[in-house]
Amino acid sequence: MTAVLEVKDLTKRFRGVVALDGVSFEVRPHEVVGLIGENGAGKSTLLKVLTGIYQPDAGVVLRNGEPVTFRNSSDAARAGIGMVHQEQSLVTSVSVAENILLGAEGDAVRFGFYNWPKLNAVAQRQLDKIASAISPTTIVEKLSFAERQLVELAKAMYVEEGAQVEPVIILDEPTSVLEGAELETLFAQIDRLRQIASVIFVSHRLEEVLRVSDRVYVLKDGRSVGETDAASADIDLLHRLMVGRESSAQFYHEDEQLPVDEAPVKLQVKNLTRAGQFEDVSFDVRAGEVVGIAGVIGSGREELSRVLFGAEPSTSGSIVVDGKPVKFASPVDAVSSGFGYIPAERRIEGIADGLSVAENIFLVAPQTAAWGPFRNPKKALEIAGAWIKRLRIRTPDERTNVGNLSGGNQQKVVLAKWLNSPELEVLILDHPTRGLDVGAKEDVYIFVREQCAKGMAVVLLADSLEETIALSHTILVMRDGRIERRFDAPAGSKPKPVDLVERMV
Amino acid sequence: MTLMNRRTDEAAADPSTAALRAIVPATGRSWRDRLTPLIPLVVLIALVLVITIKQPNFLSLYSMRGLLESVAPLLLLALGQMFVILTGGIDLAFAAVASFGTVLLALWIPDMGPGGIVLALLVTSLIGFVNGFVVAKAQVPSFIVTLGALGLYSGIGLWISGASTIRLSEGYDVVGWLADLRIAQLPASGLLAIVIAVVIAVLMGTLRRGRALHALGLAEPAVLMSGISTVRLRILAFTLSGLFSGLAAVMLVALQRSGGPSLADSMQLPAIAAVVIGGTAITGGVGGAMKTLVGALIIVVLRVGLSAVGVDPAWEQVFYGAVIVAAVALTIDRSRLRSIK
Repeated sequence: MTAVLEVKDLTKRFRGVVALDGVSFEVRPHEVVGLIGENGAGKSTLLKVLTGIYQPDAGVVLRNGEPVTFRNSSDAARAGIGMVHQEQSLVTSVSVAENILLGAEGDAVRFGFYNWPKLNAVAQRQLDKIASAISPTTIVEKLSFAERQLVELAKAMYVEEGAQVEPVIILDEPTSVLEGAELETLFAQIDRLRQIASVIFVSHRLEEVLRVSDRVYVLKDGRSVGETDAASADIDLLHRLMVGRESSAQFYHEDEQLPVDEAPVKLQVKNLTRAGQFEDVSFDVRAGEVVGIAGVIGSGREELSRVLFGAEPSTSGSIVVDGKPVKFASPVDAVSSGFGYIPAERRIEGIADGLSVAENIFLVAPQTAAWGPFRNPKKALEIAGAWIKRLRIRTPDERTNVGNLSGGNQQKVVLAKWLNSPELEVLILDHPTRGLDVGAKEDVYIFVREQCAKGMAVVLLADSLEETIALSHTILVMRDGRIERRFDAPAGSKPKPVDLVERMV
Repeated sequence: MTLMNRRTDEAAADPSTAALRAIVPATGRSWRDRLTPLIPLVVLIALVLVITIKQPNFLSLYSMRGLLESVAPLLLLALGQMFVILTGGIDLAFAAVASFGTVLLALWIPDMGPGGIVLALLVTSLIGFVNGFVVAKAQVPSFIVTLGALGLYSGIGLWISGASTIRLSEGYDVVGWLADLRIAQLPASGLLAIVIAVVIAVLMGTLRRGRALHALGLAEPAVLMSGISTVRLRILAFTLSGLFSGLAAVMLVALQRSGGPSLADSMQLPAIAAVVIGGTAITGGVGGAMKTLVGALIIVVLRVGLSAVGVDPAWEQVFYGAVIVAAVALTIDRSRLRSIK
C-alpha cells in the first residue's frame, strides 16, 4: 500500500542551526500518525516544510508516491494537505464561511464581490464533513475556543475540494488549551476524520498521542529517533527517546540542588487573586529555593507571574517580602523591592533591541558603573566585559546591538542585566529557555543553581515538565486558576511527569 | 567562577552540538552604518559650499549674523521636539505653546521683569507636563493629545492677547540683551542656542540615564520590564518640550520686541524638519542634540542661502521640500526600524 505522504531524509538548516537532520516518516491511508518531541525537536519546522512555508535544504516529499515540491502554502493546499494551526489563525471579525474559504474563494467571488449563497454552501459542505452544527454565517468572534478549532478543521478539510484526493490533515498541538469534555469531542472528531482522511497529530503529550494515534514517531534534535505502533508503545521508552537522556539529572545539574528547609522565607504569596485569571493562590519561596509552577495555557500561571512582578494588578490578596507586605503598582515597584523578571517574550520585553549589549546590561542598575549621576565608562566596560566572559555571551564586543545576537545570547544579556543589580533577591523566570539551543539551556540551568547557592529565591515557569521537575525544590501544579497540588521535589526523589500531568488536565 | 568547563557536553566532539553553537552573531558596523550619521553634516557643508560659490558674500560676517539670529529660536524649538520624537511620540503643540509663551512674556515682563520670564517658563513647562501626563497615563496617542493642545493654547493665546501683537517696550531690557549682545561680533542669541544644544548632547552622552529616552523609543516594553518608569520618562520628554518652547519664546520676544498669538506658528514644520533632517528617526530611539543642531543649520542655510543666491521664493519651497525628503531617505537607519509608518 502506497503511503499517502512520505518524507525522506528531510534536512533544514537555519543560519548554522540544524533544525531538521534527515527526518524520514510516512503516513498511510486512513491512518492517524502521532508526532511527538520536545520544544525545539523540529516539529514545527517539519510541519512548515510539509505545508510549503519552508523549503527543505535536502530530502524529498512524496504525495501518493509522486515527488512533490511545495513552493508556498497554496502548493501544499493544492496537494490536499491541510493544517489546523496551534495558534488559531482565524479572522474573528468575519463569518465562519469567509474564514473557511479565505484566500481560496474560487468562483465564490465574482468581480471582487462575494457570491454569498455559493460561499455559504461551500462552507456548509466542509462543516458537514466533520459533522459540525456551526452555521457558516456565524461571526467567528461569537464562537468558543473549541468551536473555533472545529472551524479551523473545516478550513483544513477544504483542501480536499481543490486537490481531488483524500486530504492529509495536520493537527498542531490541538489539545494544548482543551480539557475534559472538549478534549473528548476532539478525540471523537479525529476518529471520524480517520474515515475520510489521513491525520498527523502533533503534540508533546504522550498520553494523548497514544490514545488517538495508530503509529507514533519521536522527533529529537531534528531527527526521527523512534517509531512504534501505538498499541504496543512503551511510554517510558518513548519518553526517554523524546528527552534524549537516560539520566536528565546530569543535564539539569541536579546534584547542585541544595536543600533549603532551614533557609528563611523570602517571598510569601497569600490568597493572591486576579479576577478571571487565578484565584486564592498562596505559597512561600525560601531563599535559595526554586518554586516551579506547572500548568497548561489558561491555568493562570503566566498571569500569576506577571502579577508577582507588578506588570498586572491583582484583585485581592497580598505579597510579602522578608515579612513585610509590599504593593506593586508597576514593575518599577517590584524592581525596587529586589524582584527581577526574565520574560517569555524575550525580543519584546527582555532585550532593548537597538541598544548595545552594555547598555542593556546597565538598564536595571546603572549605578553600578557611575560617578554620582554620571556614567563611568571605564568601569562600565570592565563590568560588561566581565559579564560577557562569565556568561559566555557570544558578541564581538559590548557595543554591538543586542538585537544582532542569537536568541541564547540575548537571553544571557537579559540574565546579566538582572544579575548586575546588587539588590536582586527574587527572580521570576518565565520560560527562560524558550527557543534556546541545548548548550544555552544548560548554561541557564547552571546559572539557576549558582544563584540559588547564593540565596536567590526563584519562581520558575519552565518550558517543559522535565525542566520544571528537575530544577525545582517545590512544584505547584495550577489548573483553572487554582493551585491544584503541591509536590516536593528534592534532589534524588523527584516526582514523575505523569504525576503532574494528571493534575494539570 | 565562570560557566566555562562546567557544561556536561563541554568540548564534546559531537559535531551536531558544534553546529548548534556555530551561530556567530551578525555584527560589526558596515561602512554604511558608520557613514550614515555623517550624511546630514555632509549635506550642510555641501549646501554652504554651493551657495558660497554662487554668492561669495554668503560667508560674510553680515550674513553669518543673520543666520545665527534666525537659527536661535528654531534650534530651541527643535531641541524640545527632539526629546519627544526620541521617545517615539510627537508634540504638535510646541509651536503654539511657544506663541502662547510670547504673549505671556509680553504681558508679564512690563510688570514683573525677570520674574515674568521665570513664570512664563514655568507655565510652558507645566503645559508640557500636562500633555505628557495625559499621553502617558491615559494612554492617548501623543499626536491626538498635542493636536488638541495645539487648538487649546492657540485659542487661549488669541483670547488673552486680544488677537493682536503686543509690543514690548517697558522692561524690554530684561530680554533685549539677547538680541543686542555680540560675542566676537556674533549675536549672543544664536551662540547661546548652540551652547545649549552642545550641553544637552554632553549630558545625554554622560549621564547615567542619558540614553533613557532613546531606550524608551526603541523598546518601551523592555524598559518598563526593567523597572524603569516609562510614565515618568514620557512626562519628562514633554515637560522638556514645554520648557524649550518657553525658551524659544524668550528668544523670539527678544528678537521681535513683541509677543503675538501666532508668532512661532510658522516654525512648527521647519522645527520638526530640523529634527528629522539631522538624522533623528521620526519613529524614535535614534538621534541626539548634535544631529538636531546640524538639522536646524541646514534649514536656516537653505532658507537664507537660497534667497541670497536669488532663487525665486516659489522655488525655495520646492527645494525645501525636496531636501527634507532626500535627507531623511539618506539618513534613516532602516535596519533598526521594523516598519515604516
